[in-house]
Amino acid sequence: MDKKTSSAPSIWRVNLTPAVIGLIPAAVGINYVAKAFAEGLKLPVWLGSLGTFLASMLAGPIPGAISGFINNVIYGLTLSPVSTVYALTSIGIGIAVGVLHAKGGFSSARKIFVSALIIALVSSVISTPLNVIFWGGQTGIAWGDSLFAVLVANHVPVFIASFVDEFVLDILDKVVVAYVACLIYKQIPKKMISYFKD
Amino acid sequence: MDANQQIVLDNLSVRYRGEDEEALKGISLTAKTGQIIGIIGNSRSGKTTLCDVLSGIIPNIVSSHVSGTVRLGEFSPFEAFDEYNFHTGVVLQNTAGQLSGLSDTVFDEIAFGLINQGMSEEEASKSVVRAACQMGLEDLLEQAPDTLSGGQTQRLAIASEIAFDPEFLIMDDPTSQMDPVGRKEFFEWLAGCSEKTIFIVSNEVDDLCEIADQLWVLEKGELIASGKPLDVINQVAEGHDLYLPVVYRMAKELGKKLPSGLFPVKLSELKGCFDDQN
Amino acid sequence: MEKPEMMQENLTRPWHERIDPVTKLLLIAVLTLLSFVLTNIFAEAALILATIFLLLFSGKLGSSMKALGFCAFMILTMLLIQGLFYPHNETLAFSLGAIAFYQEGLTYAALLGCRIIVIVLATNFFMRTTTISENAKYLENAGMKYKTVYLLMSVCYILPQMMQNLKKIQLAQRARGIGEQKSLIQKFKTILPILIPLVIKTLDQSMSRSISLQLRNFESKKRTVRALRRTYLMDKMFHRALGLTSIILIGCKVWMLINK
Repeated sequence: MDKKTSSAPSIWRVNLTPAVIGLIPAAVGINYVAKAFAEGLKLPVWLGSLGTFLASMLAGPIPGAISGFINNVIYGLTLSPVSTVYALTSIGIGIAVGVLHAKGGFSSARKIFVSALIIALVSSVISTPLNVIFWGGQTGIAWGDSLFAVLVANHVPVFIASFVDEFVLDILDKVVVAYVACLIYKQIPKKMISYFKD
Repeated sequence: MDANQQIVLDNLSVRYRGEDEEALKGISLTAKTGQIIGIIGNSRSGKTTLCDVLSGIIPNIVSSHVSGTVRLGEFSPFEAFDEYNFHTGVVLQNTAGQLSGLSDTVFDEIAFGLINQGMSEEEASKSVVRAACQMGLEDLLEQAPDTLSGGQTQRLAIASEIAFDPEFLIMDDPTSQMDPVGRKEFFEWLAGCSEKTIFIVSNEVDDLCEIADQLWVLEKGELIASGKPLDVINQVAEGHDLYLPVVYRMAKELGKKLPSGLFPVKLSELKGCFDDQN
Repeated sequence: MEKPEMMQENLTRPWHERIDPVTKLLLIAVLTLLSFVLTNIFAEAALILATIFLLLFSGKLGSSMKALGFCAFMILTMLLIQGLFYPHNETLAFSLGAIAFYQEGLTYAALLGCRIIVIVLATNFFMRTTTISENAKYLENAGMKYKTVYLLMSVCYILPQMMQNLKKIQLAQRARGIGEQKSLIQKFKTILPILIPLVIKTLDQSMSRSISLQLRNFESKKRTVRALRRTYLMDKMFHRALGLTSIILIGCKVWMLINK
């Protein structure tokens, strides 16, 4: 109990320190590169939240959420306009990763898996209404959308079909991203970790 | 000597947070201001850490366990950092990361620090042009910083720092990406900087021997030699795995010693040895 | 002294450069909201036409068309899926052999598609007619804290840098034949040794940058706010008008949803 109350204020700081201001563009850049990698190699995952994961792990949920938010807004204004609305999803992912990381959710292979499932759930819950509003429920990934089509054809309500479409993809994506992020985090020099933690 | 014209490092130790070993171990030194001080050593010898302390990055921006004192003239990085920072120019090892990343042109990048200090645009403009000319960037002022070559980027980073005319200039390997011509120009410029105190980490030991007033040699976080290049190189030549200047190696090969019994480290000294014999 | 020069400069500049960035952003908001308030496919088409004219008159239509490429595919699959399986499908539109497309689904997908096109085109107007430094200077002059301006703008700048990095890597990958391996595990094994150092280098760079920003006093209160080299047409009035329109449109949409 004691520990919780003393650690709570530290992870929820909102202060935009210069370290965080440096970290956020890096996180967006990493998101972009990872996404481009996945597209270039035709991987069945997006990987576009890798930088947000790392920002949350390094600096906490608020900087992570800000990274995610700015990521989508800037993407929207420079590369693909519709991605702006998914800023909400990115905020959710940033907060979820930051909280889980602070609570030790990334400390073992099994915990990472569970954490990834929780993050996938958060992401899907936020994304599904957006998918329905903007894309009639689709996600834009071919095999997820085929699943969606099959479900809708069998009279499953659009919201549920869309959620299944999104969640299946999100599980795969977030599990891969979580493991890759941890792999990278372990290789970050201690000096850098303590710099961004402050 | 007037304390305000002295550089003092007293028992300086640094340990990064989360690391067990000290990056710098009890460094003590005094030197006069207004000199060019070359800092050499192999990788992981603590050169960059020393630069970070001299620039005040440690412990003001990157918190670390630091003990001892550092004083450059009347300023200390451990006391009034803003004041200290105002008088020091710093060129980081990672030059690309040093740029603001937000300038459309080389001109804007050099002006960044000046504008931040509240200098008027007109005044800043003069300083920018002056600094650019010193670094040979006058023709590139309208170019975008990310179109520059590695060497040009390093010159841009240096120009951005000398634009506000700091008394102390601290540079961590500022020529690593310059071509031979650019490097030669840089060291010529450096040799002509008589009124500044300059700390420069570099692997260009040959060039440092030519222009530096002092050399400090680090090994595994300890200071193993300091003083005039001639004395220092002769002192560390044996028993340390360091790069030795070509002139020194040549002189040794040829058996040419100075009257003091030391092997020369500068070209002019070597020439002198030959002239004496003829 | 400066004024006549500035005015002359303004007269020679194309109209879209005389509109400030915030007005353009608000314009995106208004067009997007309008596309959501409208539910008639013809009205949507008119809205698309309006945005096309906006781009046409600013001479940016050609470059914006490429941006539609990605969503074109999504819109096609949407027409396919909704045309076939939309829950309210009743009226047969046409059939290809045994496959029947329904009117309701097609209309619904077309409506969504139109909205996407409006958003993409309106955003492209902003993208193609502003520069990052112009936006930065405008926001700073409008009183935004430099720290925030820096944050937003540095993100814009990092993307082209990363793109460059990426191109180099992709070339190297092609040279080594990565991407031809079929198995997923193999793909991951080959990309991780490239991705991880790149990520760490990026983080290292960001640490240097943030250190250097502090050394260069970017948070200084003394910072000179640089004068705008451009002046804008009635920016305050545009902001109020477009802001008000956005609020009214949001109101309309909410009212429509309640009354549904």
